[in-house]
Amino acid sequence: MPARCLGSCSGRLLLLLCLCFSLPGGSPADLAVTPQDANQTHENSLTQMPTGLKSSPEPMTTTQTVNRQTRGGSITDHLTVGPDASTLGLDLTTQEFKQDTKSNISHGSYEKHEVVLPATVTNLTVKLYYCETNSVCKITLIINSRDDSGPAVVKNITLDRAVRIELICKLHDKYSSLKVIQVTWKKGNETIGHINKTENSWSIQLTISDNSKLGSYNCTVKGEKEFSVVFHLQVPKIDVKDKPVITYEGDIAVLVCKSLNSTPISWTWYMTNGSEQIAINDSLVLDKYVIDKAFPNVTQLKILKLTSKDDGVYWCEAAFELGKSKGKMKLKVLSLMVPLKPFLAIVAEVVVLVAVIFLFEIYSKRREKCAEIEKEFDQTEQLKSEESNGVENSSTRHRKV
Amino acid sequence: MPSPANAGPAPSPPDGGWGWVVVFGAFISIGFAYAFPKGIAIFFKEIQGFFDTSYSEIAWVSSIMLATTYGAGPISSILVNRYGSRPVVIFGGLLCGIGMVSAAFCTSILQLYICVGFITGFGLALNLQPSVIIIGKYFLKRRPIANGLAMAGSPVMLCTLAPLNQFLFDNFGWRGSFLILGAILLNCCVAGALFRPIGAPKIQSNEEVKEVLKEEVTKDAMEMNSSTNIPVETKPEEEEAKDCCEKINKYLDFSLFKHRGFLIYLIGNVLMFLGFFAPIVFLAPYAKHIGIDEYSAAFLLSILAIVDMIARPATGIIANSKWVRPRIQYFFSFSIAFNGACHLLCPLASGYKGLVIYSVFFGLAFGMVCAMLFETLMDLVGATRFTSAVGLVTIAECCTILLGPPIGGTLIDTFGDYKYMFIKCGAVMVLAGTFLFIMNYYNYRMLAKEKRKAKEEDPKSVRTESEGRNNLNKDTVQDGPELEPLREEQERLKKEVNGTNEV
Repeated sequence: MPARCLGSCSGRLLLLLCLCFSLPGGSPADLAVTPQDANQTHENSLTQMPTGLKSSPEPMTTTQTVNRQTRGGSITDHLTVGPDASTLGLDLTTQEFKQDTKSNISHGSYEKHEVVLPATVTNLTVKLYYCETNSVCKITLIINSRDDSGPAVVKNITLDRAVRIELICKLHDKYSSLKVIQVTWKKGNETIGHINKTENSWSIQLTISDNSKLGSYNCTVKGEKEFSVVFHLQVPKIDVKDKPVITYEGDIAVLVCKSLNSTPISWTWYMTNGSEQIAINDSLVLDKYVIDKAFPNVTQLKILKLTSKDDGVYWCEAAFELGKSKGKMKLKVLSLMVPLKPFLAIVAEVVVLVAVIFLFEIYSKRREKCAEIEKEFDQTEQLKSEESNGVENSSTRHRKV
Repeated sequence: MPSPANAGPAPSPPDGGWGWVVVFGAFISIGFAYAFPKGIAIFFKEIQGFFDTSYSEIAWVSSIMLATTYGAGPISSILVNRYGSRPVVIFGGLLCGIGMVSAAFCTSILQLYICVGFITGFGLALNLQPSVIIIGKYFLKRRPIANGLAMAGSPVMLCTLAPLNQFLFDNFGWRGSFLILGAILLNCCVAGALFRPIGAPKIQSNEEVKEVLKEEVTKDAMEMNSSTNIPVETKPEEEEAKDCCEKINKYLDFSLFKHRGFLIYLIGNVLMFLGFFAPIVFLAPYAKHIGIDEYSAAFLLSILAIVDMIARPATGIIANSKWVRPRIQYFFSFSIAFNGACHLLCPLASGYKGLVIYSVFFGLAFGMVCAMLFETLMDLVGATRFTSAVGLVTIAECCTILLGPPIGGTLIDTFGDYKYMFIKCGAVMVLAGTFLFIMNYYNYRMLAKEKRKAKEEDPKSVRTESEGRNNLNKDTVQDGPELEPLREEQERLKKEVNGTNEV
């Protein structure tokens, strides 16, 4: 499938790539992309979980939905790949590229898609979830432009289980005339030998089975121009609240850690005592800690009967097949005196203001009364003189209306 | 007007002076009443995790608060009729403070419903109604401006409360924030202290005057004196049959249901509120739905609030101008229909820029409607009966206000698309605006007819004289209720044209 260059768009972007995946089973291929909003993180990630036909030995390309958000100046993208996804058919509309995935979807046993991502897009995170172990997940990244300042394009790929993946480094069609002298794949400092070459793409196949295989894989294309793409393979991150949790003595504190889209094997909580981390067990202190395991990808630590000693940093650690991931939370325990001071200050201000207003009113009423007494005296004099002319005045009044 | 013995301007509202201080107090009071239920939504996520409940259970807190604020309207009206605005507002402020302080020590969601929902909601109701009522007592000529300025309190308070609440939450957690918010709500007592009762001491001097001048009817002075109808008894010329209905009507004027203008207003507004609040509730989720990020979506609401803030006093000034004031009901209907039109056009807005434009127009329309909400009711029923009218109207609106967002939510869930919610809100509001426009046209014509009839049938000098002298009164005892708006209309029209007090 030829890659496409994309036009411009204003506003927020949605890049949809359809993903087809084959699974052992008998049902016809069903292309599905499910969008998910992850508001806890600052980016939105969309999970594609393709369902498909029986497994075939051929590797399938996967399409992914990318939801881009721009905050400040940085651009963050997530590409998530999973087993059952449903197509949204949304169009990519970005300044740099357009994409029409519907035409790319064919209802066959597999689909091939490529996503065109400009080299200027850094921080792209591809989350490979539910990538089945007996098939190969392909990730193709096409270099279609190059920043003149030339930093390498880094793509973060999150893996939650052992998979076989193929990383493809491809030059855009517009560079097809470019003469390529050499393409190297490196992990850290060591060069990888088996590079599969097609017309203008170079790929390596990897089996990620344990933590040591994670890391940065670098593809360098040297020719008239030099391009560099880095695939950064890592374990999923934990989502935690970055602001400290504020509670009061004698109250209950609830600390929550979430792992989006991927379910860890186990959770562990640690509290920091001085410089060491102590694992929190229910047996540590009676009736103090309650770890809630309601959902597999959410863990909740409830701390009862808070004292000022419970103030500090807490860690939640999720164990995945390929490694561990930690999240940091800060707990603050305050005494009741802390909010009481502003409270009393404001109450005092209210009392003072009300007193001032009432006193001012009494004062001005007294002055008015003195003035009124004088006025009434004058008025009664006036009335007496008016009464003598009373008849005339009334008739005048009648006529007026 | 040669009102003998009485200080000349005593019967008519001051239209200035201390009135502007009262407007400031009403600004604060109304601001808290409208902005507070929306402002505490910031704490809900944390409280939801703390008490382990679903989001809808937490959202009930806001709904209960809003329902109590509107539903306790009649009680508020009765209390104001009996005691005047000031004690009621001060008591309301105390109640709010107590409610929030006790909420800081809550240990269950049910206790939160009671403390934050009922107690604080009731306190806010005791703040809202009297503030609106007292503006009607202090202003007549400049009443639309005063109303516009006072109602501007709502967006200003919302813009202040939202970052303040976030700051309090980041530094004190939700319990400490509730404690401090309780203290902040006590400032409503300060606003209440500013609501000096107007005109009450004048009763004595009136009676002296009556003794001196027998042909004067001094009901106009009495109207300004207090909001209760009790001083009506001092009218020497009228023998009132005080039956049970009259007594009840003293506290809460149910005879308003026979008042044509009141009924028109009631039906139109109840219909309007079905589509009034839902777009605000769903604007941010809609923005997120079409792909805009959280912060920009929240910024849309800020744009709305800022435009709202400017639109309300501006509308007050426009409504006070001599071209609009006599036809203020038409202006009100127009702004409702304009609001509806904005919603109908919203689904056409694509992308962030379209939504920004929508927010600007929505803020404008929202401000226009809110600024004139109570002004038009005052215009229809007059300042004395307004006390009861506002109570009856708010309890009727209470139902549709609460129904509006859930119906919108159901539409969104059923069709999976926000545009049907916008279409529904827009259609309802355009319908309400059109209804009000047509019915008010009919009402104005009927009033003009009655005025002509009254002039022919009633050549008595007393009547015409009091007509001439009454600035804003409803003579609830002497004439039937139908003539009251007539007279007030006539007087006001005359005054607006001439710009001076008639004799």
